[in-house]
Amino acid sequence: MNDALLSLVTPLVAALIVLTGPAMTPRRASVVVLLGSALSFAAALLALQTVTASGATQTLNLGGWEDGLAIRLRLSPLSALLLAFTALIHLLAGLYARFSRFASGDDFWVLSAFLHTALAALWLSADLFNLYITLELIGLAAVAMVALSGPKAYQAAADYLLLSLAASMIYLLGVVFLYSEYHTLDVMQLASVSADSARTRLALALITAGLMLKGALWPLHLWLPAAHAGAPAAVSALLSAVVVKGPLFILWLVWTEVAPADLAREVGPMVATAGMIALVAGGWAAMRSPYIKVLVAYSTVAQLGYALMALGLLMSWQIPQMHIALWLFVIAHGLAKASLFMAAGEMQGTLGTRRLTGLRGATQTVPIAMFAFAVAGGSLIGLPPSGGFLAKWVLLEPILSQPQNWPWAFGILLGTLVSAAYIFRVVVLAFDRATINPPDTRPHLMGHWLALLPALIVWGMALLGEQLIGLLAGGGV
Amino acid sequence: MSSLAANSIILYLLVAVALVMLGLYGLLVLKDPIRRLIAINIMGSGTFLTMIAFARRQDPPDPILHALVVTGLVVAISATAFALRLILAARESREAAASGSTEAEDE
Amino acid sequence: MTVELLPDLVLCVLLLVVAWSALFASTRRDAMALFVAFGMIVALVWARLGAPDLALAEAAIGAGLTGVLLLRAARKLPVSSARRFDYRRHLGALTFIVVAVSGFAVSIILPSPADITANNIDSPVAAAMSDSGVSHQVTAVLLNFRAWDTFLELLVLLFAITGLRQLFPIEKESLEPARTWQLLVSWTRTLVPLLLLVGGYLLWRGSSGPGGAFQAGALLAAGCVMLRITGMLPPLHWSSFAVRGSVCAGTLLFLCTAVLTHSLGAGWLDYPEAHAGTLILMIETLATLSIAIILTLLVAGERKDLCS
Repeated sequence: MNDALLSLVTPLVAALIVLTGPAMTPRRASVVVLLGSALSFAAALLALQTVTASGATQTLNLGGWEDGLAIRLRLSPLSALLLAFTALIHLLAGLYARFSRFASGDDFWVLSAFLHTALAALWLSADLFNLYITLELIGLAAVAMVALSGPKAYQAAADYLLLSLAASMIYLLGVVFLYSEYHTLDVMQLASVSADSARTRLALALITAGLMLKGALWPLHLWLPAAHAGAPAAVSALLSAVVVKGPLFILWLVWTEVAPADLAREVGPMVATAGMIALVAGGWAAMRSPYIKVLVAYSTVAQLGYALMALGLLMSWQIPQMHIALWLFVIAHGLAKASLFMAAGEMQGTLGTRRLTGLRGATQTVPIAMFAFAVAGGSLIGLPPSGGFLAKWVLLEPILSQPQNWPWAFGILLGTLVSAAYIFRVVVLAFDRATINPPDTRPHLMGHWLALLPALIVWGMALLGEQLIGLLAGGGV
Repeated sequence: MSSLAANSIILYLLVAVALVMLGLYGLLVLKDPIRRLIAINIMGSGTFLTMIAFARRQDPPDPILHALVVTGLVVAISATAFALRLILAARESREAAASGSTEAEDE
Repeated sequence: MTVELLPDLVLCVLLLVVAWSALFASTRRDAMALFVAFGMIVALVWARLGAPDLALAEAAIGAGLTGVLLLRAARKLPVSSARRFDYRRHLGALTFIVVAVSGFAVSIILPSPADITANNIDSPVAAAMSDSGVSHQVTAVLLNFRAWDTFLELLVLLFAITGLRQLFPIEKESLEPARTWQLLVSWTRTLVPLLLLVGGYLLWRGSSGPGGAFQAGALLAAGCVMLRITGMLPPLHWSSFAVRGSVCAGTLLFLCTAVLTHSLGAGWLDYPEAHAGTLILMIETLATLSIAIILTLLVAGERKDLCS
């Protein structure tokens, strides 16, 4: 637990140093925040090691009060993994923002460190009201970061904030109904007392609706493309890679622990169907988008469909493979999407266009960024041996073993085809060397290489496949 | 503290749900961002009223729920203030862009 | 229907009617004014429901600060033309609400009205009060049992103010006219000392009765906002260390307490019992400072305050 708390505190300390420190230039701020992320990453790895070595989930009652009164923090292998993943993404996005030519705004540093803190607090919390505050924190930080790209993004940021506030209110109302029935906010206590009743159902419905709106899960995803596409590249990477995963985590927590198992079994197919539709509809919208970053943003909607599908099937079958598949998807998608957004930002800046057609001949003009885009896209499609392939393989195995589950496999196949279509659409344009769109400026190679880095890591995930599966195989929490 | 009749608590609960629904409806149909912000705040008041009505089931009222409402209020006011400033800034930037483009046309 | 229900019924009807008209008022300015009135009624209802802490907080935050915020916004916005009365919209809202509320009543309340109002729960709070360092239960929950929530809540304020600082990217002079309303100036002279006094009292009283850091902070902020609007308070320059320091003070002290109790004491935010009261008072004082200054900046902060 010590290491996990350290991982939570370091980004916050970095942010406070940046806020209060004297003569804090953006350059110094970047050094402080990057150091914070690196330390946080190291601490999260230590926490991961401890928790897997001991093999047990650790809990901490804050303030030393008894269960039910105190807010409990919980460190499971999954939350340790997510801590490390968040720190890694922040480190990668920070490095990119530091060395890329395309500025992200001076306050990027303090806001990204804040966001990191809020996410770490979310992964560790096991208290529904505390989770509400972390959701609000993440929402505020994310909106502020969207606003970093200047006045043209304010409208998208304002819409995002309004929806995010409404969503957390709906979530909070659900939590209140649960509290009124069971007199506790603690997830583990709720898990032991919850029963199927009208009020519980209403509460769970409200919580689910609020979280789906926050997490841009189909059909409540319409705000996402404008917000994610409008932000600076490093911010888009953070938003798509980690921010939308926060609500997903709470949704998973609520449905696998708090909800009675029978109710979860009943609702599971609906969630999985929503995931399947997200996969196809999001992919279709991505395929038809004329703008580079909007394409990538819609692909987030589609990819979240896989995670939602894994969650739905986990709820209805309650088998640990789905748990593994869900979180492998989250991690693989996070890394790949970070790479895609950074590469898209680099190409967009260098070629001076936001349109997809401007990418003609990109393999010649911005080869490294385009390579990053293709490599990351390969993981999204699920080409072996990428992290995306690993996740899809774990997801497909139990589905294919039972003939009555084959319709789900069909959905996954359709999703794969659509994602292949939108990735190849970009790649084909990039290979069109007959009518090259000349770059406005000489490509800045450092940024391109840094955009490639997360994509390489996601392909490297396959090497760690066995460890990752072993880590998540504990099932449950 | 005088105890409140059970019927009153149920009445307040119903009104709280009505407020949340009213806010939700406003959010869905209204276009003006400031009115939508007001709608969200009405939803918030409804949610907090639910909490306080539930808290009143026991005598003295449940302090945990009261504390949660205090926290919720501070969160709500910070978010509302930020949202309102953001809405105004968005409007300003839109107006600036509009006047900028007409000026360009004039030239 | 009994006579006792009558005052509640009146309050509820008032609440709904004002909320309704705040949403669907014909001009935006009316909507804003009605929303401020709505805040006042909410405060009344909460006082009626035995929550004086919250009634105070709502009156200060909901009606006072939100009011100033909305009125300042109204000044910057063009006057919207009055909208025609759209009966479809009202009818839609009415149907929506009636269906939802009756659904709620039928599925949740009617099956077991006794369960809704069950009141025999042993509160774990009462049992732990003696070790908490304060004697008011709400304060004990906020600053001891669920101190982590409060810590994160201070972060919410910090995030919001950092976010607000993003919104002044274009270099331009503030359009704020120098004129202020004479009546406002004289009222401010009378009111602000009173607000400061009441704020200080609420902070001190928080350990034993209704009140505490948030109510006090909100009242102080209301005072500072009035001073700032009338120009009696000079701009709070973000570049000055005092401003940034007090913005972060509450969070910093909380964080130090957490880290120190973790490394030297019993555990994360586990206050040593003998000093719990003092520690809570210190945290509350600095939190009040942070809350007051952040809320002031959030409501009245201009480019001069935040970006210089």
